Amino acid sequence: MLKLPEFQFHRPSTVEGVLELLTRHGSNARIVAGGTDLLPSMKQRLFTPDHLVSLRGIETLRQIEISPDGGLTLGATVTLRELTLHPEVQRLYPALASAAGQIATVIIQGMGTLGGNILLDTRCYYYNQGEFWREALGKCMKADGTICQVARNSPSCLAAFSADTVPALLVYGAVVRLVGPSGTRAVPLSELYQDDGMRWLKLLPGEILTEVILPPPPSGLEARYDKLRVRQSIDYPLVGVAIGLVRDQAGTVEQARVILNAVSSMPESVPQAALLLGQPLTDEGIEAVAQAAYTQVKPLTTHGVQPIYRKKMVKLTVRKALQGLMMKGMPGQAV
Amino acid sequence: MAENSENSGMSAPSAGAAPAGAAPASAAEVEAAREARRAAIMAERASRRAARAATETAPAGQGDAAIASNAADAPATAPAAVAAPTVAAGLQAPGIAAAPAPTAAPSLSELAMPKNFRIIGKSQPKVDGMPKINGTARFTDDMKLPRMLIGKTLRSPHAHARIVRIDTTRAEALPGVLCVITGKDIPTKYGIIPVAQDETALALDKVRYVGDPVACVAALDEETAYNALKLIQVEYEILPTVMTIEDALEGKVLIHEQNKTGNVLKNVQQSFGEVDALLADSEVVVEDDYYYEGNTHVPLETHSALASWDHEGRLELWSSTQVPHYLQRELAKVLGVPQSRVRVVKPHFGAGYGGKSEPFSLEFCAAFMARKTGRPVKITYTREEVFYAHRGRHPAKMWLKLGARKDGTLTALDFKCWLDGGGYASFGVVTTYYTGVFHSLPYNLPAFRWDTTRLYTNKPPCGPKRGHGAIQPRFAFEIALDQLAEKLGMDPAELRRKNFISPGHKTVNDFQVTSCGMKEAMEKVLVESQYFEKKGKLPRGKGIGVACSAYICGAGQPIYANDMPHSTVNVKLDRSGCATIFSGSADIGQGSNIMLAMIVAEILGIQVADCKVIEADTDLTPVDLGSYSSRVTFMVGNAARNAAEQLRIKLLQATADHLRVPVEEIEQVGQEMRYRKDPTRKIPFQRAIHEAEARFGGLIASGTYKPPRLSTRLGGRGAGPSPAYTFTAQVAEVSVDEETGLIEVERIWCAHDCGRALNPVVVEGQIEGSVYMGFGEAIFEAQRYYKNGLMTTPSILEYKLPTIHDTPEIKVFYIETLDPNGPFGAKEAGEGPQLPTAPVVANAVFDAIGVRFKSNPMTPDVVLKALEGRTTRKNMRMA
Repeated sequence: MLKLPEFQFHRPSTVEGVLELLTRHGSNARIVAGGTDLLPSMKQRLFTPDHLVSLRGIETLRQIEISPDGGLTLGATVTLRELTLHPEVQRLYPALASAAGQIATVIIQGMGTLGGNILLDTRCYYYNQGEFWREALGKCMKADGTICQVARNSPSCLAAFSADTVPALLVYGAVVRLVGPSGTRAVPLSELYQDDGMRWLKLLPGEILTEVILPPPPSGLEARYDKLRVRQSIDYPLVGVAIGLVRDQAGTVEQARVILNAVSSMPESVPQAALLLGQPLTDEGIEAVAQAAYTQVKPLTTHGVQPIYRKKMVKLTVRKALQGLMMKGMPGQAV
Repeated sequence: MAENSENSGMSAPSAGAAPAGAAPASAAEVEAAREARRAAIMAERASRRAARAATETAPAGQGDAAIASNAADAPATAPAAVAAPTVAAGLQAPGIAAAPAPTAAPSLSELAMPKNFRIIGKSQPKVDGMPKINGTARFTDDMKLPRMLIGKTLRSPHAHARIVRIDTTRAEALPGVLCVITGKDIPTKYGIIPVAQDETALALDKVRYVGDPVACVAALDEETAYNALKLIQVEYEILPTVMTIEDALEGKVLIHEQNKTGNVLKNVQQSFGEVDALLADSEVVVEDDYYYEGNTHVPLETHSALASWDHEGRLELWSSTQVPHYLQRELAKVLGVPQSRVRVVKPHFGAGYGGKSEPFSLEFCAAFMARKTGRPVKITYTREEVFYAHRGRHPAKMWLKLGARKDGTLTALDFKCWLDGGGYASFGVVTTYYTGVFHSLPYNLPAFRWDTTRLYTNKPPCGPKRGHGAIQPRFAFEIALDQLAEKLGMDPAELRRKNFISPGHKTVNDFQVTSCGMKEAMEKVLVESQYFEKKGKLPRGKGIGVACSAYICGAGQPIYANDMPHSTVNVKLDRSGCATIFSGSADIGQGSNIMLAMIVAEILGIQVADCKVIEADTDLTPVDLGSYSSRVTFMVGNAARNAAEQLRIKLLQATADHLRVPVEEIEQVGQEMRYRKDPTRKIPFQRAIHEAEARFGGLIASGTYKPPRLSTRLGGRGAGPSPAYTFTAQVAEVSVDEETGLIEVERIWCAHDCGRALNPVVVEGQIEGSVYMGFGEAIFEAQRYYKNGLMTTPSILEYKLPTIHDTPEIKVFYIETLDPNGPFGAKEAGEGPQLPTAPVVANAVFDAIGVRFKSNPMTPDVVLKALEGRTTRKNMRMA
């Protein structure tokens, strides 16, 4: 890889300091936390900001705190490794701990942060490449070009959302705190995204993510995150599936969430998960939801594997994840 | 044979000391002056020793001393028929050491060889291991010189185009840019194979693949050089591309217009025995098509070169290269300076696997721009550029027809192969031969024919990757054997066992096998894996497979024709008791430096820690041809042994003279040299060194190795004939997830006949690395291109090298057959063990799911598709 382009590095110790720098330098500045995605992209000359503003100097953003309601508040620069190993995260939000542990490699998890993963740039076979390569193929709209190389007649960018923590966070009903020039707001994570590979985040100009608020998990909630990838390390997901089920003592499903990762430019909810409600888990119900997920998704050649394969794997992964929960039996019951 | 005279001349410099094919008469002439003293010492004991040699038998499994002394006299393990000393020098069996005539000067080995090994066979950490781990190793890119500039290469974005015009004026005007060059600045063609030199450092008139170097910039820093590239304006006339083997064969579009055979770089056809008749008479025949996908080396260290000229016009070039000597030759030629003015040094090296076995554009550009600017210039490829520089595995389309009798005895093979070679020749001529010649090993094949065509296409050039050219046909052949076994109703392991060759075998295409542990290797993996207990009894989705192979220990011929040694090693023994070993060989991470230190320390009677290896520096070190063809342990090891023996003899002689006892009766015990019959008569080892230096002058010796004359009946004699062959057997156990198509290779058992494991830990590492690479090629890796010629995945995120989590448990066994010609009996271990891995996985997958993959990589989408196809076919049959 090329060396990094030149930039000025800032490490303010307060959120205000960060906002001030962002206001001053505008689009010429970028936030860096772990840098595990930004820096390779800069080496590929996808971005060449003159200023990098680090969040690592802000102690308060590195903390995991138990909220008064029994949930957790996670600072934006908590590392993925810390998330994986934290006993309270493991106890209350095991799918999140698991998802963070499935990202990249252990070493990268030690640098990469929760906030960085939530705001992870969308990815594409045709986008995450060096400058020479992109020019030789013809630049895509996400990187100074005009067309989408995935589907040449697409009016918008089709790069894939790939953040593994997000489907798990969505299952737990996470809320994110955003701080910007015009103040602070708390937004349900589900409202942060839209299906556009170039504008997948509904952030206001100059806004940064400072923390993630997780409500206490409802009793009877069981969740998991399953990631399919070619290699058992390093790789971004070909397909990711987060499942969250709330069941009562009798095993009747009261809430059901199925969130898919890496099949479009945002985390994709499967509304047909509602088919599971009002009854215990059954093979028929599971098959119906898996089929619904299969019908719903339209994976594209954003990855090195054929889209039809990924489509099939959505069905399989949803089915297996639900079966896993069914096999595991009822919360509180001996398995 | 007409080669008689040449043959005897070849081994001259090594005289009786060389374990291989020495012809004593002419050796004495050549060495007369330099070795007069030594000869005198020898002569007085010649008859006694000869008598002893004559009465000695050479059974396998004797003590180390017996085997070692046999090494120069007769094969320790080969049958007597092969080793028969009556074979005339010129007609001697290739690969077998000539037995010295009884009256000739006796072997140095006898006196110098230690009776019990202190060092050989005991694991020693690599010399460069710790520096690489703790970060103190200085790789080429770590080097900085005062006033050094950084170079960057402009590459073609087109797969095939004519260069109409290049305008560099804007780039030259950029502040911080000191030099911009294009193809016309360095127009001399080069190439690793003298008969196929078709490359220039920068494209002259045409570009032939996406990534073909077009211009080069030297600037004060990398960013400036990079920015300058964008200011170079190149006008291209786009040409139609040749992206497939079929397009290349059609020949409508020519990639090298001046090439007399169109897009065919090389076609070779060879036939041995009555192929058609034997196939016609075969009771069972398998005929099928196979495809092996291209892939690449991905060394951790990317290519890097730093060039600097001194005030007298001498070039120093540090480069991450496997072949300093060949690079020195090509640099001199292309830059138009005498070779004496070019110094090539290989610093610490972060792997090559064959991907750095030839000169590359950056080496010429750095040297040229350094001369032009009068400042040092360094160029380091980015990871992406390494994928374009490539020289990786050739994609190979193969067809074969293999026959057998009802009892499983192989009869004949007909084999055709087309290699998708990319835009330039690289090693392609050699690759062509290697796809064909190895079919006669490790099974007894009475007849075979092969026909391989290596083509030019508009892709990055393919070249040698670990197991060069032999990997692809081995994949086809070992799968075909399983198909044959299926037809015969035989177990695949039984079929193989039935056809193995034995030690001393001569193949139908004239390869002389010396030691051969094929059967032992096979038994080892079958027993260790419990193959027969598992075969056919594993649950659905789990399978077990077997595959075998053979490989060379270096080529019988150098890349450019000459009669000089393939390897020379100089050893200097210091008064302090330390030895400095000078070798032109390149330690590319395979552990050749520790190998040299171990051999020299063992023979001299000193410790490994007392040896320092100076390697791969053309000013300081004698020529070695380089680290390729699995030749280093065998050839350089022999040269080192030879040099050390000469010094040891001097130590013994000086001691004997000092103690006034016969030299044969001197023994070393710890730090003392003693008279065996009266241990009180002794001197400290250090004193022996001083006595030797007082008597003989500076203790410096030069040892050489040159292979014996090998088969010359065939074309391409440089490819295939080898002084020794290694043998490998593997068993793999896999499980296939029939829902996702993901293959998990759970375990691979690999037994490799390496002759002798000089340094077991390094041998094991080489075998593990080979299996890792082979299994990656089997199920993960592919170097593929878009229609416009752009490589699809030039990054280590998207090019799917297996990670440690994907890698199977690898069970390593080495079989020691003590080759008569290898140093201490050693043979290669760096490439051979990869050969069976891809087919063993395919064969195990067949056992698991009943799908016969005849192409790779077996990625999950491909596996799933095949599984669905199987279901459909089954359903159709049922309907």
